[in-house]
Amino acid sequence: MMDKLIFGRFIPGDSFVHRLDPRAKLIFVFAFIFIVFIANNTATYAALLIFTILIILLSRIKLYFLINGLKPILILMAFTFFLHIFFTKEGDILYHWKFITIYEEGLRQGIFISVRFLVLVFVTTVLTLTTSPISITDGMEVLLNPLKKLKLPIHELALMMSISLRFIPTLMDETDKIMKAQTARGSDLTSGPIKERIKAVVPLLVPLFVSAFKRAEDLATAMEVRGYRGGEGRTRYRQLKWHVRDTIAVLSIVVMGAVLIYLRKYS
Amino acid sequence: MNKTFYNVSTRTSVTEITKTALVAALYVAVTTVLAVVSFGAIQFRLAEMFNYLALYHKRYIVAVTLGVIIANFMSPTWPIDVPVGGLATFLVILLCRAVTKKIKNDITKMAVTALIFAFSMFTVAGQLSILYHLPFFYTWYTVALGELLSMAVGGVIMNILKKKIDFTK
Repeated sequence: MMDKLIFGRFIPGDSFVHRLDPRAKLIFVFAFIFIVFIANNTATYAALLIFTILIILLSRIKLYFLINGLKPILILMAFTFFLHIFFTKEGDILYHWKFITIYEEGLRQGIFISVRFLVLVFVTTVLTLTTSPISITDGMEVLLNPLKKLKLPIHELALMMSISLRFIPTLMDETDKIMKAQTARGSDLTSGPIKERIKAVVPLLVPLFVSAFKRAEDLATAMEVRGYRGGEGRTRYRQLKWHVRDTIAVLSIVVMGAVLIYLRKYS
Repeated sequence: MNKTFYNVSTRTSVTEITKTALVAALYVAVTTVLAVVSFGAIQFRLAEMFNYLALYHKRYIVAVTLGVIIANFMSPTWPIDVPVGGLATFLVILLCRAVTKKIKNDITKMAVTALIFAFSMFTVAGQLSILYHLPFFYTWYTVALGELLSMAVGGVIMNILKKKIDFTK
């Protein structure tokens, strides 16, 4: 069941990328999205591609894992690639056969957009594959801390997210069990008239909601008993530590941004 | 029992936190396990019906937004989907609550919510047109139509569901 969840597709490991602080990785990925849009010519896109390959190598994740999880996206990417090739009508004609004409500009645009997308998707996927969901939540909580000044309940939101993440697999199993139980009683979700099928969803959702609410009540009681009193003054079980490697990772993205700006102007 | 030891406000807020978290988890579970219940040519996302929950209790504004945020993490382009999807859902839910506040009839309330959600699909269309250079208006039209269908079927289910479970508590 868990393999459906990319969030749960975290692969434990001990590579350079795995050991990075989640804060550094989050900063890196968000900065990466910005610098990807700086690229506008062959040199810049080539630099981005090399940078991405380096990241994948450093994470020691097998290319198979990356590509396997991204099949639907790769199909969409191929579709846009061909859309650009066949519908952009600028530049010299490279190929002509009956009604198919491929222009130089179309090919260029198609390749550029595909590369932009490929690097974006690979880098973000590397982050989810090398960081556990709970560390991503911890990292986000710390990074969003300044927003507390705007009276945003960052601690509570992060706590809710951690609780959610903890219970998603449980509730997924439960959904599966209830589905099987109702099927055993003769409920049918896959055939019959639409009206009947819509009705068949209700006996599935009622027990799910009831059980989720019951779990929430039990959990609240358990938290109360253990003396949960909100964010102020709470100590942490999982501590985040910033190392030199984290600074290197953040600096590398700054350098990459500078390189891209240079290549954009002078190549 | 000495009542001073029992802090009512903490109790409610802890329950609120856990209930919100569990409904968000349920949203993600339903999104993934019952991803698409297909009715012939019409593909319909069951989880869309959670959007109606926010009409009954403000707790579900956060619950649904959080659910969308976690579910969007599953997308390979999550650094864009998570902030955009999360923020859009949050704002659209707030808008729906504000607009439907004075409407008494429950069915009308749901219909207005469905229409607003379908209209709000320009965020998805915008994202698709920026990332993949797809035509904006055509994408908006198709995504909005899918959303409207999902919300319509979701509304029928929610209507039966709310007779069995009190979501206002």
